[in-house]
Amino acid sequence: MKIATSRFGEIDICEDKIIHMPHGMLGFPDRRTFTLFQHKPDSPFYWFQSIDNPELAFVIVNPFLFKPDYDVDVAYALKDMSWDTDMEENALELYVVVNIPKGSPENMSANLIGPILINVEACQAVQMVLTDSEYSHKHPLVVQ
Amino acid sequence: MLIITRKLGERIMIGDDIVVTLLEIKGSQARIGIEAPRDISIHRQEIFDRIRQENLNASRIHDEDLTQAATLWHGKKPE
Repeated sequence: MKIATSRFGEIDICEDKIIHMPHGMLGFPDRRTFTLFQHKPDSPFYWFQSIDNPELAFVIVNPFLFKPDYDVDVAYALKDMSWDTDMEENALELYVVVNIPKGSPENMSANLIGPILINVEACQAVQMVLTDSEYSHKHPLVVQ
Repeated sequence: MLIITRKLGERIMIGDDIVVTLLEIKGSQARIGIEAPRDISIHRQEIFDRIRQENLNASRIHDEDLTQAATLWHGKKPE
């Protein structure tokens, strides 16, 4: 199917690449369907593009690339989403949302308290809220 | 807003299955215990607000800025 995006024009995606977010992203509760694609070959970043809103897209990244000891308890999310707790571990993918201040990419950061958990088998995702974690919502991504 | 005065150890029921207990008061801080079903999410509001604000900022990134960011990532990342 073809979807409209403000950044990339019209793009063609397979329907099995549609990711449903029953709760949406925090601040965007009405945008419930997204698709994920790599920014560029070699790039660590992915675009998490809204299918309902051409202008809405987030940059996300695998947190273990820069914080190998990142530790998130997914038990609550599994229950909340009614996902099978016995599912294959590789059905779950974890990403964090990246922020790049306009004009100063050296100050880019990742939000480690609101990770996105994707169940690739169910094609569903949820943004988790880590209430009692020691992590930062502005974890620097570039070692200065 | 409903405002209720409670003494230490006293509880508030919300619906049939949410119990809020005032556990401790120390100066301007109160410790509150909340018992609720697992499907009710309970969060500190400032955490919620932080994530929402980060999401709002993050939704405005341009493709050119990201390309620069990816170059920086490869250049400055320690192996």
